[in-house]
Amino acid sequence: MKIHVTGYGLISSIGYGADDSIQSLRNEKTGIERGRLAHSKKYNVGAIHLSNSELKKRYNLSTDGSRTALLGMVAAKQAFEGHALLDDVRTGLISGTSVGGMDISEAEYKKYLDQDGHNPDNYKHHSSGVGSEQIAQELGISEFINTISTACSSATNAIMMGARMIRNGSLDRVIVGGTDGLTAFTIAGFKSLMIFDDEWCKPFDESRKGLNLGEGAGYIVLESDKSISITKKEPLAVLSGWSNASDAFHQTASSPDGHGAQLSMEEALNVAGLSARDIDYINAHGTATPNNDLSESQAIKGIFGDNIPPFSSTKSYTGHTLAASGGIEAVFAILAIRNGYLYPNLNFNKAIEETGLIPQQSFEENRTVKHVLSNSFGFGGNNSTIILSAV
Amino acid sequence: MYYIHAISSISHQDSFRSENIFDGLQILGEKSEPIAPAYKEFIPPTSLRRLSPVLRMGLTASIECRKTVDNDFDAISVGTALGCLRDTEKFLTTILTTTSDFLSPTAFIQSTHNTIGGQISLGLGNHAYNMTHTQNNLSFEVAMIDAILCVDEGKKNVLVGAADEHIPFLELLQPDLISDKSPLTSGASFFAISSENNKSNIGVKAVYTNFNTKDVETSVREFLAQQGLEISDLDLVLSDDETRMNIPAGVTSMNYLAYSGTHYSAPAFAVHIAHDYLASKDAKYVLVVNEMCKGKLGLTLIQKG
Repeated sequence: MKIHVTGYGLISSIGYGADDSIQSLRNEKTGIERGRLAHSKKYNVGAIHLSNSELKKRYNLSTDGSRTALLGMVAAKQAFEGHALLDDVRTGLISGTSVGGMDISEAEYKKYLDQDGHNPDNYKHHSSGVGSEQIAQELGISEFINTISTACSSATNAIMMGARMIRNGSLDRVIVGGTDGLTAFTIAGFKSLMIFDDEWCKPFDESRKGLNLGEGAGYIVLESDKSISITKKEPLAVLSGWSNASDAFHQTASSPDGHGAQLSMEEALNVAGLSARDIDYINAHGTATPNNDLSESQAIKGIFGDNIPPFSSTKSYTGHTLAASGGIEAVFAILAIRNGYLYPNLNFNKAIEETGLIPQQSFEENRTVKHVLSNSFGFGGNNSTIILSAV
Repeated sequence: MYYIHAISSISHQDSFRSENIFDGLQILGEKSEPIAPAYKEFIPPTSLRRLSPVLRMGLTASIECRKTVDNDFDAISVGTALGCLRDTEKFLTTILTTTSDFLSPTAFIQSTHNTIGGQISLGLGNHAYNMTHTQNNLSFEVAMIDAILCVDEGKKNVLVGAADEHIPFLELLQPDLISDKSPLTSGASFFAISSENNKSNIGVKAVYTNFNTKDVETSVREFLAQQGLEISDLDLVLSDDETRMNIPAGVTSMNYLAYSGTHYSAPAFAVHIAHDYLASKDAKYVLVVNEMCKGKLGLTLIQKG
């Protein structure tokens, strides 16, 4: 049975939809710049310059929620546009997030510490599960709702969970992806880990210093054969492979040889029934931290040997959007397959000495892109890979 | 059937390494506290100091399950509703009260929900599938749905469980956001499940979630009908004291929250109770009814034989 992709939606610092995003990708226009808010102004971030109330107004959102939930609603609604809820198509939402409603909680908790008109009711937006329920409510979905929270691999794992539930017949159609808003909590957290680049991040570059955070959301719609026979939606791509494996090396750092990443890429190829030679483009996790990019490079070499297909990290465009990254990058993968795109790895100058890997350096189109492998790795050694393929 | 080959719970009851907890269950008194196992037998002292209660509980219960089964787990599925609250609150307080540019990252690192699953993979040296589900009161049920999917896909030995921790701050959210029917507390329950019945004849028959429940009894009837059962076929219903269904004479009912205390991983502890009830009584079916959040219903059917 095929897992058909019949919709996609995204919002990030490089675009509020697919057309905007393609423009930025083509014009090599990054969304990363000096932050404009109190908690971001000392850092380079990929921020979306719409406040929560602006998001609600601009996108006509009828459900209240945290920044994470609102961004999720924007991208999920976009993905589900033109789709209808039908009694005989069991439809679910599986969404990944790492910070949930922290933007509201951190503001409220400050009032609590300052004893300044603290309102406990505002914590109703805190839980990650509530955010997904709000996104589902905005779409009118109540059949099945599930939130995955595995840090930066969350959206990829949500996509994988959706595919598995369709394959075993528990759902006919599912909206899958992830969302994360920028918060003071995450900015301070990554600062404490000392893995920020104070300038513009340089994925896969020898002189890379660290990451820039971003925010956004990305979702895709998956349907079974039965579902598209009813919905009559045109398949845009196929989700052909998926896997998750544990690095079991360190709570935050990746193993030097990228063991978990290799396990995950290998198994995703197995699920897809493909060999490494079949992959036309790799959208790498590529956060631009010294540790991730070296480990991921070794893992890519381990799987692809001397025949490494064009690969790039799009994080120098969007920043690292954490739990949303796998969703946003899944949409990039679909656009690559549909249009024959290869995306440049912005800000690359010199290959990492140990591995010598040179990523894709310019925007290309009209290439044959049949199979795209997309990696997402999270804290806790949580490594995930999906493969999207042409119809 | 998804047979339960190992169970480990850390709770207010004498549940850890207990052969059967059912007859010893006691309703929680006001000053009752969770019973901590000797964590240092499971976790090296250098790690133990850093780990919050939810991490200690989740890791220890998982290690204990691993000791009971013969092989490494080939998938791990963890549910947690509110995740690592102690470290989240700790890091939040630090960033809101400190002006220093140099903060310790430990609390931040340990604040993400999947620190529990990550610590389990590290503690067991396990490279398998490792998932963390969070869906409020239904976190355990969705983790179980994933675990069942893993077994259906051919995994032989799957670890599944749920853990949540209490912080005093949560009491400020009662009763509007969190129930105040029984003491707010912490707990963890983990299970090894498998399609093989060579060592156990009790297992999870089916799991169900519903996010828009209008009538609990109708949902229960429909769920049981799919299994060829009626409510009167059940031997025991484990629910909370506000359960909105009629339980016929002849079916025993118990309020599991009276034994676990209130936390969103309590339905996992109810499955432990259900298992031990079936293991010690002449009975076949137990239904766990989770309606800790109104309108969001979780049903887990446990069966013997």
